[in-house]
Amino acid sequence: MIVMKRGIFFKVSAAALCLLLLTGCWNSKDLDKLGIVVAMGIDKTDDDQYLLVTQVINPSEIATEAPTTRPPVSTYSTTGETIFEAFRKLASESSRDMYLAQLRLLVIGEDLAEEGMMSSLDLFYRDHQFRTAFYVAVARDTDVNTLLSILTPYEKIPANKLMSAIEAVEQSHGSSKGVRIDELISQIRNKGQNPVITGLLKEGPSDTGNNITNIENIDAPSNLTIDHLGVLKDDRLVGWLDDEASRGYNYILGNVKSSVVTHPCTDGTASIEILRTQSNMDAVFKGGEPSIAIELDVEGNVGELDCPIDLGEADSLKDLNKETEKEIKRLMETSIQISQDDYGIDIFGFGSVIHRKNPKYWKTVEDDWDTHFKELDVDIQVKAELRRKGNSTQPIKKEG
Amino acid sequence: MDNQTITPRQFMFLVILFTVGSSILIVPGPLAAQAKQDAWLSIILSILIGLLLILFYDHMTKLMEGKTFVQATIMVFGNWFGRFLLFFYLSFLFILAALVLRNIGDFMTTEIIPETPLQFTHILFLIVVIWGAYLGLEVMGRSAEIFMPWVFLLLIFFTITLVPQIKIENLQPFLGEGVMPVLSTSTLALGTPLLEMVVFLMILPYVKDAQPKRKAWVLGVLIGGFILTVITLLCLLVLGSDLAALNTFPSYRLAQKINIAGFLEGLEVVIGIIWMLTIFFKMVVLYYCVTVGIAQFLTMDDHRPLLLPLGMGIIVLSIIAYPDVAYFETFVATTWFPYALTHGFLLPALVWIGLLIKKKRSG
Repeated sequence: MIVMKRGIFFKVSAAALCLLLLTGCWNSKDLDKLGIVVAMGIDKTDDDQYLLVTQVINPSEIATEAPTTRPPVSTYSTTGETIFEAFRKLASESSRDMYLAQLRLLVIGEDLAEEGMMSSLDLFYRDHQFRTAFYVAVARDTDVNTLLSILTPYEKIPANKLMSAIEAVEQSHGSSKGVRIDELISQIRNKGQNPVITGLLKEGPSDTGNNITNIENIDAPSNLTIDHLGVLKDDRLVGWLDDEASRGYNYILGNVKSSVVTHPCTDGTASIEILRTQSNMDAVFKGGEPSIAIELDVEGNVGELDCPIDLGEADSLKDLNKETEKEIKRLMETSIQISQDDYGIDIFGFGSVIHRKNPKYWKTVEDDWDTHFKELDVDIQVKAELRRKGNSTQPIKKEG
Repeated sequence: MDNQTITPRQFMFLVILFTVGSSILIVPGPLAAQAKQDAWLSIILSILIGLLLILFYDHMTKLMEGKTFVQATIMVFGNWFGRFLLFFYLSFLFILAALVLRNIGDFMTTEIIPETPLQFTHILFLIVVIWGAYLGLEVMGRSAEIFMPWVFLLLIFFTITLVPQIKIENLQPFLGEGVMPVLSTSTLALGTPLLEMVVFLMILPYVKDAQPKRKAWVLGVLIGGFILTVITLLCLLVLGSDLAALNTFPSYRLAQKINIAGFLEGLEVVIGIIWMLTIFFKMVVLYYCVTVGIAQFLTMDDHRPLLLPLGMGIIVLSIIAYPDVAYFETFVATTWFPYALTHGFLLPALVWIGLLIKKKRSG
C-alpha cells in the first residue's frame, strides 16, 4: 500500500482527503437559513384535519441593540392530514428551514385534548430533532392560534415566558405543574396512573394580544397565565381541578417545593410559608383489600400573621402547626374526593403503588382499576413543623 | 501475523471495549420490552453464564498451544475438512463485522445525520477501521489503552449527571412478572456480545505471558458486563421499562435527558463518543481477525493485501444484510442467538473435542 510510505506524497494526499471529507455535514444548514421554533400548537380543524401553529423566533429582533417595531416572534399556521404533513407545508409560508431542538412548549387545543391526544404526540416523540425537555400544556377556553399569537410583556419570547411561568408556579405556589412529553406519554401508557396536564389561559380581550401595541402598555391588556391542572382519562381531557385540588394533588405527590398555606385563626388569618415537603405513599393490605397511606412532612415558617396570639409562649407555634396540618390535609382530601367522586380517575398513581407492593393482586384489578379506585380508602397523615417566625417576635397588630 | 504481541492489560481493554460496543445500543431496548423492570437481572445472569463460556475458551487456547483458531482447526481436521469448518467460522465473523458496521450506520442515520446516505457513514468509518487493522495488533492494543480512560470518564460523567433523575420505584415490583422472562431474555445478552467473544480465539495466541491471560479475559468481561448492567439499570431507572422499550436507542435517549440546572444540556453527542469508540474497537478487532483468519486459511504470509478488497465486500454486505430496522429487530430477537450459539459454541466445541483426542493420541 503506497499510502503508508510516509513521504511528502502521503502527507499531501492525507491533508487533501481531510479537506474534502471534514468540511461539514452532508446537509449542512447555516444559522441564517434556520427558523428557530420555540413553541408549537396543535388542534383539529372543522373538517377533521390537524392544525399546526408554529411560533418562530425573529432573531434580528432578539439580538439587536436597536429594536425596530417588528414583533420578536412570528407564528405560522398550516393544516394537514397528519401533523408531519402540516409541518412540511410550512415551507410554503416560511422562507426558512425549521429547527426544532429548541422547542419549549407544545400547546394542545382543548377540542383535540378532549378527543384524545396520544395519536398526535407520536411525531413529537419519534422525530430525531425534538428533545424530550419541552412541556406539554392545554389551551383552556381559547384556541391555540390566539394563544400562541399573544405578545408578552417583560419577556420577549412568549414561549420562554410560559415555560418560566410554569416553572415558577410549580416551585413557589404549587397550584400547577409542568408536564414534559416523556412523562406524559409514559403516564398515558401506564395503567396504574392517569396523567394531569398544565392549563394555559389567555387574559384580556382577544383582538389586542397579537399586536405590538399590547406590550407598549405598562399593564398589557392581554396576557398569558398558567391555570390549574387538567385531568386526563388515558389521553382524553375530562375536566379540570380547581386551585385547591391542584395544590392538594401536588402535596400528595410531594411535588411542592415551596408554597403558602393560609388558614383562619382567632380574629384573623395566618399565612404559613412552606419551605419543603416530603411525601411518602404506601399501600397497606388488610384482609386482602388494599388501602393507601400517605405521610407528608412539611417544614415552614410563619409568613404573615393577622391574629392576636402570643407568639412568646412556648406552645404558640404548636397551635399553628395543627392548623397548618389541618388545612393541608383538607386540600389533599378535596383533591382525592374530586378525583374519586367527580371523575373516577386515579391521577395519583395509587394503582402503581399497589402494583409495586403486590403485583399478584394488581393483576386481578388492573383492567378495571378505575372502579376499584373509587372505593379505595386513603389515609392521610400530615406532620407540620414551623421552626421560625421571621423578623417579628409578636404579631404587629397590638392587642386591644 | 508478523509476530506482533499485546500485553494482557491491553487485551483486557480490548475485551471491555468489545463487550460494550454495539451491545450498548441494541441490548437494553428489547431486554426492557420482555423482562420489564427486571432487565438488569437478565444481563447479570448472561454475564455469569458467559463467564463459563470464557473459561471454556481459555481452556481451549491452552490446547491450541500458541496457534490461532484457524491454524489449530487445520491441524486437527486436516486441510479439507478443517477448511470446511473454518469457512463457517470466518463467514460468521465477516457477517458479524458487517452487522456491527450497520449498527453504527443505523444509529447515526436515525439520531444524528438522517439525510446522509448510509454508505458514506459506513465508508468513512471503515477507512479508519482498515487503517487500524493495517497497523496491526500492537497499535490496536496501545490505542485501546489510550482511549480507555476517555470511555471511563465519559461513562462516569454520564452516570453521575443522571443520578438526580433516578426513580427507584421504576425497578419495583422486583420479579413482578416472575422468573421466566428473566431467564428467557438472558439469551439476548448471551448472543450479543458474549458468544461473539469467540473472535478472541484468533488474538489470544498473540497475548504475552501465559499466566495472567485468563485473569485478563475474565476481568475484561466482568468490567464490560458491569458497564452494560449500569447502562441498562439507568435506562430503567430514568426512563422506566415502558419508555425504554419504546425507544429505538434508549441509551441515547438517556443522554438527551441529561440536564444539570438548566444549562448543562444537549450533551448527547458528547456522550455518543462512547458509542463511537467502543464500536470502533469492536469493529477493528473483528476486521483484523477476519483478515488474519482468511490469510491463514489461504496460507498467505501477510493479511494486509486482503484489507481493501474485503472492505469493499463488507460495505456491500452491511447495506444488503437487512432491508430495514424492523427486520433487524426481529433478527436480533429470534435468529441471532441460535446462529451465534452454533458458531460461538458448537463449532469451537467440535474443535475442542478434536484437540483433546489429538492430545491423547500424541500422549
